[in-house]
Amino acid sequence: MKKENHKKNQDTVMLSFSERFHRYMKLLWKQRVLIALIIPAVIVVIIFKYFPMYGILIAFKNYKPKLGIAGSPWLDPLLKNFIRFFRNTNSWPTIWNTLKVGVMTMVFTFPAPIIFALLLNELKGNFYKRSVQTISYIPHFISVVVICSMLNGFGSLDGLFNVIRGFFGAEPVDMNNGATYFLLEYVGSAIWQGIGWGSIIYLSALSNVDTSLYDVANIDGANRWQKIKAIAWPTILPTTTVLLIMNVGNVMGADFTKILLMQNDTNRSQLEVISTFVYHQGIEQGNFEYSTAVNLFVSVVCFILVFGTNMVVRRLDPENSLW
Amino acid sequence: MQGAAAKKRKVKNKIYIGSRTFDIFLIIFMFGFCIVMIYPFLNVIAISLSSRQMISMGEVGWYPKELTTVGYSLLFEEASIWRAYGNTIIIAVGATVVNLVLTSTLAYAMSINDFVLKKQLSVFLLITMFFNGGTVPTYLLIQNLNLMNNWWALILPNAVSAYNVFVYRAFYKGISPEIREASKIDGAGEIKILTKIYLPLSKALYATFGLFAMVGVWNSYYEALLYIKDSSKQPIQMILRKIVFTSGLSDMTGTTEMMNNGELSALNVQYACIVATIGPILLVYPFIQKYFAQGMQLGAVKG
Repeated sequence: MKKENHKKNQDTVMLSFSERFHRYMKLLWKQRVLIALIIPAVIVVIIFKYFPMYGILIAFKNYKPKLGIAGSPWLDPLLKNFIRFFRNTNSWPTIWNTLKVGVMTMVFTFPAPIIFALLLNELKGNFYKRSVQTISYIPHFISVVVICSMLNGFGSLDGLFNVIRGFFGAEPVDMNNGATYFLLEYVGSAIWQGIGWGSIIYLSALSNVDTSLYDVANIDGANRWQKIKAIAWPTILPTTTVLLIMNVGNVMGADFTKILLMQNDTNRSQLEVISTFVYHQGIEQGNFEYSTAVNLFVSVVCFILVFGTNMVVRRLDPENSLW
Repeated sequence: MQGAAAKKRKVKNKIYIGSRTFDIFLIIFMFGFCIVMIYPFLNVIAISLSSRQMISMGEVGWYPKELTTVGYSLLFEEASIWRAYGNTIIIAVGATVVNLVLTSTLAYAMSINDFVLKKQLSVFLLITMFFNGGTVPTYLLIQNLNLMNNWWALILPNAVSAYNVFVYRAFYKGISPEIREASKIDGAGEIKILTKIYLPLSKALYATFGLFAMVGVWNSYYEALLYIKDSSKQPIQMILRKIVFTSGLSDMTGTTEMMNNGELSALNVQYACIVATIGPILLVYPFIQKYFAQGMQLGAVKG
């Protein structure tokens, strides 16, 4: 059997290039309907996904719309835009802000759905459980403009946040003024929106637990905490690590549309993160090359972060790494 | 002997009581959790319908006080909100159809085991999952294609998502290949197999991902901010942004006067607009929520 296979392989190798090409063409012709089916989608992907990747080249060019991307001249020090970014004293606070927002968001929004899923899994009563679950998804379907509008309203002098503060005897403050409450509002609303939806994937992992494990644990006299620690947690650990690796990349990519909407004249300078910086520089002021360079820098950092985390995970526990 | 048994019973009892306490605590906690999830919506609706005095006294909780609909009447007197609704519906339906057609044709071909370009296409799509051009190159592309102020700029860039294609492919692979073989022998072509056999068998998939696409478009604002400058073509989220964050409120006829008279709170109109924006989604949510959760699991397990 093995020998035969080997012979067959040799046969294919022995075929001349033109013959192989001919065969391939024949196969393509035979599947021409399928190929015709994929063409529209492939064209859309090439134009709208691949062409912008090629457009990143303008980070290294002196882009002239008339000459196009290929025809525009290269910059003299090729990394001129990157040098400009790092030489600029305003860049460092922006990078610091981006990291602050990204790390805080991740530290709080990543564990929240896990804890929620573990608790929900312990909840007795199927109807109640399902109802809680259904309600917890609702905030996920609210757009970023609505969230920011709500935060804007709640933070105003007459708003819900100030009513709650008043309940505890605090004087009302205009939370939209300045950047004091920004991080609290930003992270809090991110948890509120993501906790239910994020838990779905953990809950579906938990629903696959072998129930006999719980029976054994009961006989052994394990309490609830021990059961969570020894049964539920190991079940969702692989999902957790994969999601963690994928999330690490977001540390540099704060939710840019949200921050853009939360910025106003009183706090703009304190809330600038890299992605809003790219928007202001690139789209509003037309510094296309410069902002593309900054964006490229962020993408590279994200890639390194994801790659690095995956490497660490692979070292510790090869089964759970992403690749 | 007796002592040991009693001790064991005691431990068991302790665990039982501890477990019960935990259950009760959990039930209360989850009830509180649900309130936190829902209360902000109720507060928005209540305030949009309450009088200015009650709002500024901080009296309004989860139901309206001194009912007034002035916020809504001002909002719906504006022609722009109706136009924005119409625009959003057209964009959402268009984007959903384009999305479903492109994704299903691509995924169908990729689901066939002996398709020649199967491997190449997987790599081709995987790359788009990890790399993208970013804001500015995409913006320049849209500009060069003359798609500014054109709804295609909102529809096409996100029409084919690699993730969706892989989920569709996994779903199609679940359909038994014998059905395909049998209909091929009966003389059906690929297009007929896709539309007459695969399509009816994948209704759940289309429902789920169609809804995802529709909600996504309904909620999207960033693309419109970048590409749609013409205010008569803008979707609903842009109107909300205008009313809450820029001069939209004072542009409305009569609002400034009414606010000075104390008949109207800015929150009346702002919250009315929030309700108008999320209303359609919240209304259909009870009917479609099970598809969403299913779709998420479909993606998680098979993707």
